[in-house]
Amino acid sequence: MRTWWFVATFFCGVGMAMWAEELMLRAQENRLEFSAPQVHFITGRPKERLQNAAPVAFDMRVSLWAGNRNYVKSTLTARFVISYDLFEERYSVTKVSAPSRNANHMSAFEAEAWCLQQMSMDVTGVPADQPLWAKMEIRAEDEHGSSLFRGKLSENGISLTDYFVELFSGRPRPGQSHWEPEAGPVTLEQLRRGKR
Amino acid sequence: MHKLSLTGLLTLLVLATAPLGANTPQDAQDVNLQDSNLNVNARYIIESISVAPEKQGAKLSAPLHMEIDQMVGQNLDHSLLESLGKKIKEELHVPDVNIRIAKGQMPERVVVTFETPQSQSSFDVNVGRFLYHSKQGWTGEGTVTYRHEGNDLSFGMISDGDRLAERYAGIQAGFERRKIGTERVGLRFRFLSYHQQWNNATLAAATPDQIYRTRQHFIPEMTVILATPLTWDFGVDFARYRIATPYPVALATSGARTESSNAVVSTLRYHQRWGSGSDPDQQELSASYGIRSATGVFESDAIFTRQLADAHYKYKHGHNTVKVGFLAGRITGDAPLYERFILGNAETLRGWNKFDYRPMGGSHMVHGSIDYSYSGFLVFYDTGALWDTKHDREQKQSLGVGFSEGGFEIAVAFPIRTGAANPVFYVGVNF
Repeated sequence: MRTWWFVATFFCGVGMAMWAEELMLRAQENRLEFSAPQVHFITGRPKERLQNAAPVAFDMRVSLWAGNRNYVKSTLTARFVISYDLFEERYSVTKVSAPSRNANHMSAFEAEAWCLQQMSMDVTGVPADQPLWAKMEIRAEDEHGSSLFRGKLSENGISLTDYFVELFSGRPRPGQSHWEPEAGPVTLEQLRRGKR
Repeated sequence: MHKLSLTGLLTLLVLATAPLGANTPQDAQDVNLQDSNLNVNARYIIESISVAPEKQGAKLSAPLHMEIDQMVGQNLDHSLLESLGKKIKEELHVPDVNIRIAKGQMPERVVVTFETPQSQSSFDVNVGRFLYHSKQGWTGEGTVTYRHEGNDLSFGMISDGDRLAERYAGIQAGFERRKIGTERVGLRFRFLSYHQQWNNATLAAATPDQIYRTRQHFIPEMTVILATPLTWDFGVDFARYRIATPYPVALATSGARTESSNAVVSTLRYHQRWGSGSDPDQQELSASYGIRSATGVFESDAIFTRQLADAHYKYKHGHNTVKVGFLAGRITGDAPLYERFILGNAETLRGWNKFDYRPMGGSHMVHGSIDYSYSGFLVFYDTGALWDTKHDREQKQSLGVGFSEGGFEIAVAFPIRTGAANPVFYVGVNF
């Protein structure tokens, strides 16, 4: 009986892992495009804030390794601000990093996909047979912001409670929404042939 | 005595100005999330605002009520609502205020609700002041506060070389209950225990029996809100201090003696603010008058009366900020050194060194200052006089430039006088 449970748990784990957040790559001429249909970042606390008429900033960074995983070939970062129209019940996204862009009247899925589309990378010069790995990091800016004194300076002084949390957090802060889908190894040749 | 630590200064500057977003995958670009281009809801108009539960809303001060009401009819601005939420949180002493926004009765109108969850306890750590002064060294104060059901329990540590003729360092503990039976009456007890360090100039100017090594205070006080925003604090400051010089008659048996200074304290305060974060013009006025009187009724060794009046006015228009301050004080009788007035620190006669001017302070004081800043760049002028007898009275002046933003300030100030002018440098937060 105990063995049966162990095996069942193992396969459930494998199954969950297969459904885990995945990054999809697509090679379009000299650009590498990203999508992640399984990743939904307009969810949970950020979604609550959006549906409460507050704009929410999402920071994204895509890292690309070529040849091996010891060397990051290139990274791209961007910030998106999403807001939710209370009356139209549709999302609006602004890419505030240069080049800035904007898209409106989108569903949550469309808004997420639009953000990922803006993260495409130029892969000119990358050999077609070289293995590539990619990782997309997405973090929702939490209500506390990121500057040291922002929101912490009051008439009583500086609140250090939040400050220490931020100072010692190399990782996302506890409770901060974040996603890190990955892909690879895969070659450009494989992607051009249609394999992810 | 204290040398400017370049490394420490740079560290402070970096801490104060740099965002700690190195761990987040973002561009360096910082964005105002409330920009109407970024929030589609900024085009909607606020139909109504309320505070829930209603009982909490009724506790808010009239100026804050007015500020909230002014938002009705304006476009939705989340940053302003957050700033109002912060003020509500501070006034009600609640751990958090949630802002709820929903569709209103009319098209393109929204209703805003500030929800104040009634949580019963919270914990906070605060740096009350942090300062480096090139003539006086470091000053720092930190407090830990535990709040539970309207009771505040605090414990803090301090080392202050700025505000008095002495450097005092030690602990501060307190208990406060903001409402006793009624919303208008609060009670607090404070216990302070310090040991002293003295500058050579003060030691040379004072008589040995004026110099104490330690002092402790126990201060029970009540606060009564007379009529918002006018409050009245009253209580008793029971202080005792240990003087290193013994009584001549006790020379053989004791190396020190303890004296007491038990004073009735009473302070009237006024604080009013006009305009909110979104208004082009904002004004703030705070003023107080305090009297401390130590008499034989409380078996005080020191018999004196100390009066202090101060007023500060601030006007902000766009990037321009003007601040005007006024202080006046008078001591009659024989007060311990920690009661005496000081000029020539990071708040008064900036540019003068208090140990060069009057190392023992004075029993009479008048001071005025004017600060002007544009986008944080600051210029100021201070003038004042400190004296014990009329013959000593001499007006001093100083000028300075610096940068001031939020609670952070860095400046260089010069005394206006003939001969060599040694500039004073200071940097700090919330002093």
